[in-house]
Amino acid sequence: MEPSIFFDEVNERQGVFHRRAFLLGGMAGAGLLAMTGRLVALQLVQANRYQTLSASNQFNFRLRPPPRGRILDRNGVEIASNRPDFRLTVSRDEISNVETTLDAVSRLLPMDDARRSQLKREISNSPRFVPVAVADGLTWEEFARVNVRTPELRGVNADMGEARVYPYGGAFAHVIGYVSKINKAELDKEGPNPEPLLLHPGFRIGKQGVEKALDQQLRGKAGGQKVEVDAVGRVVREDPEGDIKAVPGKDVQLTLDADIQARALEVMGDESGAIVVMDCRNGDLLCMVSSPSFDANRFASGVSGAEYRALMNYERKPLLDKVMTGTYPPGSTFKPTVALAALSAGVDPEQRVHCGGSWYWGGRSWRCWKHGGHGSQTMHDAIKNSCDIYFYQTALRIGPDEIAKAAHAVGFGQIFDIGIPGQKKGVVGSREWKRTAVKREPKWQPGDSVSYGIGQGYVAVNALQLAVMTSRIANSKKALNPRLIKSVGGVDTPPGDAAPDLPFPPEHLAYVRGAMVAVANDTSGTAYRQSQLGLGDIQMAGKTGTAQVRSYAGLASRNSAHYEWKFKDHNLFVAFAPVDDPRYAVAVIVEHGGLGGATAGAPRAREVMRVALLKDPEIRARIEKPLPLPDVPEAVDAEGAAPDQPTVAQAAPAGPPQPRTQG
Amino acid sequence: MTASALTRPGERERVSIKLLEIDWRLGILLCAIAGVGALMLYSIAGSSWEPWADRHLIRFGLCFIVMLVLALVDLRVWFLSAYPVYVMGLLLLVAVELVGHNALGATRWLKLGPFQIQPSEIMKIGVVLALARFYHGVSAKDARLSWKLLIPAALIGAPVLLVAHQPDLGTAVLITLTGAGVMFMAGLSWRVLAVGAIGALAAIPPFVLFVLHDYQRNRILTFLDPEKDPSGTGYHILQSKIALGSGGLMGKGYGLGSQSQLNFLPEKHTDFIFATFAEEFGFLGCLGLLTLYAGVIVIALRIASISHSHFGRLSAAGVTCTFALYVLINAAMVMGLAPVVGIPMPLLSYGGTVMVTVMIGFGLVMAVRVHRYSEISSGRGALF
Repeated sequence: MEPSIFFDEVNERQGVFHRRAFLLGGMAGAGLLAMTGRLVALQLVQANRYQTLSASNQFNFRLRPPPRGRILDRNGVEIASNRPDFRLTVSRDEISNVETTLDAVSRLLPMDDARRSQLKREISNSPRFVPVAVADGLTWEEFARVNVRTPELRGVNADMGEARVYPYGGAFAHVIGYVSKINKAELDKEGPNPEPLLLHPGFRIGKQGVEKALDQQLRGKAGGQKVEVDAVGRVVREDPEGDIKAVPGKDVQLTLDADIQARALEVMGDESGAIVVMDCRNGDLLCMVSSPSFDANRFASGVSGAEYRALMNYERKPLLDKVMTGTYPPGSTFKPTVALAALSAGVDPEQRVHCGGSWYWGGRSWRCWKHGGHGSQTMHDAIKNSCDIYFYQTALRIGPDEIAKAAHAVGFGQIFDIGIPGQKKGVVGSREWKRTAVKREPKWQPGDSVSYGIGQGYVAVNALQLAVMTSRIANSKKALNPRLIKSVGGVDTPPGDAAPDLPFPPEHLAYVRGAMVAVANDTSGTAYRQSQLGLGDIQMAGKTGTAQVRSYAGLASRNSAHYEWKFKDHNLFVAFAPVDDPRYAVAVIVEHGGLGGATAGAPRAREVMRVALLKDPEIRARIEKPLPLPDVPEAVDAEGAAPDQPTVAQAAPAGPPQPRTQG
Repeated sequence: MTASALTRPGERERVSIKLLEIDWRLGILLCAIAGVGALMLYSIAGSSWEPWADRHLIRFGLCFIVMLVLALVDLRVWFLSAYPVYVMGLLLLVAVELVGHNALGATRWLKLGPFQIQPSEIMKIGVVLALARFYHGVSAKDARLSWKLLIPAALIGAPVLLVAHQPDLGTAVLITLTGAGVMFMAGLSWRVLAVGAIGALAAIPPFVLFVLHDYQRNRILTFLDPEKDPSGTGYHILQSKIALGSGGLMGKGYGLGSQSQLNFLPEKHTDFIFATFAEEFGFLGCLGLLTLYAGVIVIALRIASISHSHFGRLSAAGVTCTFALYVLINAAMVMGLAPVVGIPMPLLSYGGTVMVTVMIGFGLVMAVRVHRYSEISSGRGALF
């Protein structure tokens, strides 16, 4: 080997190395510059975008359900509100084993096996990330006891929320309904991406009545509690300043009066039926009670299967709303309507009809409720005495279409827009109606008209319609519409007197009203004894009714007092007061209450009417400071031996001067 | 000046003189980087020395002493031990194949009594040493293009295949590129380089499709389109980019990086520590850190080029090459420019194995510097 070559070799290798090392250094430098360029792009150019992404990683909004809007009565009394509720929730995505978690929970809050298996099912069926409430309505002690332990129990959270409470229990159950957990069907209706609020364990959806009809308004908007979370979603910190406030649901004010409502339920006692009170000046519904009722609070907290079955199977049907859904033959309460129809048809009210207790027509005998007969009757007498023979004949004379026209005009056979669903419109018979509705026998038979005249046969009404009918007759000007929702979120709904005029001349209405005054105030009226208010000179007018439940053929007597409950007649009564300045109309239906509206219906109507009148400050002033009546001092003494003649004359000043035929 | 004193025979062999000859600028830069690492680990642990920062510092301290000791080892000892180290590494790699400890689906570890060693790490130094030893005795002409180049190719290929089979793709790529770097600096023909580069690029698609494991293929597909599956395989890259980008110019502040503090960023203290750093210290902090790394590379290359022996030049340059590749691959991965491969940021990431490898490497670089004047005469033809 030549040293010189070796030396050159070495130099050449060194030279190559130096060049290449320089290049390598250059490449490393270029690489680092490229990295710097990338950093410029990420950290300077796109910084905002990544800062947003980082913040959305870091912060989360925990759903805060809004307080549900309250439901108030006309005076602002809460009839549905919210109370604080302590509950325990389990999040499925955070627990590893349902059994061990439930074991741990049941050590804190004992639970029975049925509850446990129900919870197990609920937890395993719940969507991921949606906590399940395993215990509601904890006491403060229980809540505190659980709360100190929950940090050890992963996925178990003690949570304070709000629960719906109905201070009047069952009094408003049918009108305002109740809330309960959202079910699968309701959730499916919300579409593929339901609002997260709906899945919150504290969320309740309106199931019936006002709670259902105005659910969207009552619901409000969920807020968010800003929390800082880590990568697995555990809350690290709370950030009260970043919270999004929940928007509370709107308060709904009803036209109902809690005192009248409560009294109405009370006077119904164990009876099955309905009471409706309506303001006959503007259509406001002051009372809508269906009896027997149920405690809506039980439903809000989740009613048990056994309790629900018991309510379902009870023969007096507590779950049915008898105000709007139950329809009944109006019986004799239909007679004022028939009278209006007859007057419209040109029947002379003074033309007398003889009642001998029964009337033979069409091959059979039509009986009056009074077997002995009423004798010679004008229209006034016939209403006062509730004479069937008069109305059999009158109805036959004027025909069904005339009656149907009047019935529609006073409010039967229709559904009123009062803001809640569930009304049945009932039946108002006419030739046209029967042709389409009764396939078996489409032709209207004259005999149909005869029954029609006393509110039987092809006629069925609900309690709300009865109240509307009474209000319209009492108002005698406007075809009032009932109003239930007074305001939603402070915005008033249109009043019920924004309605067309009644298609009856005032003198016809006055005549019928005069007859209804006589029913309650003429000593021979069918409801005289039961209709005395005992409120000074304030008097009530009314009309009794008995709705036949089954055919009387083969039965010894129409007096069904000794029959089994479910075969007894329905007992109806409609009334308005005060007679000289009608303010309130009442309709009472007592299912299977027995014969004659006076026995079961009228006393209840009177009690409810008393409350309504006593709550009215103007009426109250009038009672406490009677108008000076120097001539007739006895008139104040309504409980006394009722000098009916002058009272009636005073009480019905609008009525045409009709000669009284009976005392 | 010591320069005249150093000319005296035997003077350079004195330990005190050798210690003075150690490049302390490089030492300080390494300490600075490790210090930044400890700072970050302290922050990630929620302002706590436990469990990472303290151990990181202790490990670095030990490794630094090892580096100093290795710096004093005569370059001729390094030279002589080059092939033995390489052969031992290769044997251990074979042993891993046969009796290796399986962790996370990859067989990388070998249990030796109480110790666990990762032969692929030894090989990173071993390949550099063996190549430098080989080229020490090869003429520039042969190094440029000759049949002899089959030997370095084999020296690189054997461990790469074994490592790739473990499978540890990151290390295999690293060893390949390091080897290629040494061959390049030894003077490999540009034509061969070009052919090799084109061949490698052409080999990638079939390699990805047919050779890789599913999880490896997914990493590469994810790299190409990370937004496709943000909560699944793309999660690492996406969260890392969010951490980087949200740092902005000045960063969120020390200890305030929400991405890492709240665990959105996976591997925040190991492979993705650079993203954590970038989140808390921002663009300016990153520039500073990259400057530290650039400083290390420049100083190490400078040390390589002033060595009098070809072995010294190539081994120091090879180590530098490995270090630079670590930095660049990790940075590219964290920034979403490269697929997620298990390559940590040297000295910054928590983890002992890589720190040991890197510091042994710098021990070699320091030894090259300390013994830059020594001639290794027995080089040429030693093997042949």
